[in-house]
Amino acid sequence: MGSVKVKNLVKKYDKATALKGVNLDIKEGEFYALLGPSGCGKTTTMRCIAGFENPTSGEVLIGEKVVNSVPANRRNCGMVFQSYALFPHYNVFENVAYSLTIRDLYNGSFGQRAKTFARLIHKKLGKPSKEIQEKVHDALKYVELDHLADRGVNELSGGQQQRVALARALVMEPSVLLMDEPLSNLDKKLRNTMRTTIRKIQQDLKITTIFVTHDQEEAMSMADHVAVMRDGEIVQMATPTELYSNPKDPFVADFVGSSNIYQGKVVDRKENGDSIVKVNDNTILESTTHTDKEDVEVLVRPEGIEILKNGRMEDHNVLEATVKISTYLGPTIRYDIELAGMEVMVEEEFQPNTTLFKEGDVIKVFLPAERVLLI
Amino acid sequence: MSKGTEQSPKQSRLKNWLLSIDSLKIMKWVVYLFFFLFLVLPLISVFLVSFTGQPVNLLGSLVNPDIMATNIERLSNASLEHYASLLGGGTYFSALQNSLALAIGVSILVIIMCIPLAYAFARTTMPFKKTLAALCTIPLIVPTFISAAGFIIMFGRTGWVNTLYQSLGFDGLLINAYSMTSIVLIQVFFFFPFALWPMVAAFKIADISLEEASNNMGAKNWSTMVFITFPLAIPGIISAALLIFTVSFSDFGTPIILAPDGLNLIVVEAYREISGFFNWAGASILTIVMVAVAAIFFWLQRFITRNMDYGTLSGKPKGTKLNDSKVVTRSLFVYTCIVLVLPMLAIFSVMIQSFATTWGTGLLPRGFTMDHYTTVFTRSGDNIMNSLLLAGGALIISVIVATLVSYFVVRENTSKLDFMSSIPLIVPGIALGIAYIQTFNTAPLQLTGTAFLLIVAYAIRRMPYMIRSTMGTMMAIKSDIEEAAVNLGASKLVAIITVVGPLMLPGIAAGSILVFVTVIKETSITVLMAPSDWAPMSLMVFQNLLRGEVYTASAMAMLIIALVIILQSIANKMTKNSLY
Repeated sequence: MGSVKVKNLVKKYDKATALKGVNLDIKEGEFYALLGPSGCGKTTTMRCIAGFENPTSGEVLIGEKVVNSVPANRRNCGMVFQSYALFPHYNVFENVAYSLTIRDLYNGSFGQRAKTFARLIHKKLGKPSKEIQEKVHDALKYVELDHLADRGVNELSGGQQQRVALARALVMEPSVLLMDEPLSNLDKKLRNTMRTTIRKIQQDLKITTIFVTHDQEEAMSMADHVAVMRDGEIVQMATPTELYSNPKDPFVADFVGSSNIYQGKVVDRKENGDSIVKVNDNTILESTTHTDKEDVEVLVRPEGIEILKNGRMEDHNVLEATVKISTYLGPTIRYDIELAGMEVMVEEEFQPNTTLFKEGDVIKVFLPAERVLLI
Repeated sequence: MSKGTEQSPKQSRLKNWLLSIDSLKIMKWVVYLFFFLFLVLPLISVFLVSFTGQPVNLLGSLVNPDIMATNIERLSNASLEHYASLLGGGTYFSALQNSLALAIGVSILVIIMCIPLAYAFARTTMPFKKTLAALCTIPLIVPTFISAAGFIIMFGRTGWVNTLYQSLGFDGLLINAYSMTSIVLIQVFFFFPFALWPMVAAFKIADISLEEASNNMGAKNWSTMVFITFPLAIPGIISAALLIFTVSFSDFGTPIILAPDGLNLIVVEAYREISGFFNWAGASILTIVMVAVAAIFFWLQRFITRNMDYGTLSGKPKGTKLNDSKVVTRSLFVYTCIVLVLPMLAIFSVMIQSFATTWGTGLLPRGFTMDHYTTVFTRSGDNIMNSLLLAGGALIISVIVATLVSYFVVRENTSKLDFMSSIPLIVPGIALGIAYIQTFNTAPLQLTGTAFLLIVAYAIRRMPYMIRSTMGTMMAIKSDIEEAAVNLGASKLVAIITVVGPLMLPGIAAGSILVFVTVIKETSITVLMAPSDWAPMSLMVFQNLLRGEVYTASAMAMLIIALVIILQSIANKMTKNSLY
């Protein structure tokens, strides 16, 4: 019922091509994030699934059925908009009840439909059925807003509006839940709470969810799978851990967390397949990555570099460096260091007894071979 | 679908077919059909008639081969002979000349009169600015045939101003109400607000920093005014002048009442040709000429405002330094009051007359009475009702059409519809009336003389204003709200009705009141097209004026003015459009 497939989706506008053949295979009950910078095509992909855009070519399948010719109002995709798009002339209850009321409008005898229509025009012109009342209150209870059912939507806080939008999408029991940057209008603290709420609801209902975002933290912390997009194409599809520890591409590496990336050349291979790589023409590093390529990008995450203290020794990848800037971030400290003519970021956990280095200090750093990735 | 109901294949096929119909697309075609039938077709017909000299029944040609044959024969005999006679001199030519002269003269006078006013409102701390601004909108509220009535009371042979003039020892009349002079005066003093507010805006835009630079370089204030402020406002002023030209050129209320026998004006001439002589050829040529002239000036005005930079209008909230020199502000205050004297006196005269027992020669009436109002309410209740019904009907049509047009134009970029719905701006009322009468005179759509056609004419004529009002609110509605409705299962049409429509209500409401008001004031179409059993208030005033029943006419006129003021202030509150 709730799987979503996208096959070779292409969307061309007059001048630009927004999507250049996007493929997605989202299993039922999966939480799938589309991640990428603005203009990468993630929203367009979602709008094609929702039916707001007609793809130039390619297919969209919801529950194994091609839906290209199904109009948006009959695709049964619940969508949460970036702006929430709540109906300002309806109160919370009416907003959530909208899809159910519309369903009544298309079914039943003429008289019933006329009544439903009157109710849509003004709430005083009719009472919603018991069934609708129950369903709406259930949905509102779910997002903990049942007590605000009679409020106008403009009297709610941003977080409450967000939850109304969610309840409104869920009450129609959609086959897919689509969320377009739903958290971008909230402040940071609220965003973190909503992340947990959304993830919990998704897990409870086992509802297939597609989540569009440009915030890697959001995507990584919520999704089962992440598709990173750039320029209308998917660059990498993977689980969050895979994406972080094994990015396929410098773009992904950089987008998913901060990283040090340098040009390098593989100069030798060990018997076990590990590579010896030369960076910046003057530094030799060992890496556990196995590769056939000669010209590579060398990636080291800032937290993958260790500062050697108290006479600690290692047998490989130990280099001397000078501290340029030291930034205290609370739980971590960030050092910008100069290492053999390269600028490198190092991040270290902060503990009460951690020695803080100052600008100009000369330190020894260790880059464990398994943290040196070649891509 | 519930389990109990089994449907035959035929039924379900029908249901599928019904579901597949895009109701929104149908509405679009309905809107197109409406504009085609009641705007494009009448204009084309009139255009053809101006060549053939005989009625051309285009709709009939579609349904009846005989009519088609007649039409083709008539069209094959088409000639430019009628146009040649227009240019060759004679009454039409002089009517055009006179109308052009009137419109040009009025525009120039209005601009000269408005420059100090606009400066006063835009750039000075003139005392009582807000009150004066409100008073300056009053002339617009009064239909011109009522102002004309006021002029007759003042400047008629026994008018009180002329009586006063003679009692001061002068001979003859100060101004003859039935003359070109009084037509010019009425148009100048009652149309100037049309130009004033755009000119105030133009004076506000003009770059203050340039003026400061000029003063800084040693220029005197007055030379800055003449060489910097004024030239910068010139595009705005020209555009205002062109607007006044169009308004004056197509004004019907003033000349129809005040034009003396010897004075030929194109609107009056066209009216006489159609309602007096049923001269199809003459009426249609005059119609085409009117539309052409109005179109040229309308286009010129658009052209000039397009090149105007409104960019600074929104982005510069920083306080303009206003001229607070006492000499300047006080003299401007006096000047503004003088400008307002004439229109106020005219309205005041109508009011006095509505309470007068008799008012022959003399500064004041013999006595005062409420009788005329009693008469109006007892005898003319029907007229009041008719006005409300006709205006209500026009309002319903324009609300529906304008809402849909704004939707299509804003959401689907339907520029054709945008263009079509702005055509009525260039069609003078009398021209539209003539086109309608000709087009719907015979089967299959024989509507001439029905209230329905009158309502449609009102609706079409006011459509651009209604659309301007609804379009503004439509643009403010983000498309995702509508997408949300669709996403939740509503078809586009249902989304428009349940979500977009209610959100557009403020714009619709303000627009409807304006439509309602202008329909109640409308003269030209009413006089030309209103069936006798549907006579609205404006027609009654008009006929009473012609019949000489001036007292009841005045009472009814006051009623119209009161109604208009009330409705207009409600509309203003709704849109909260304050210039200050």
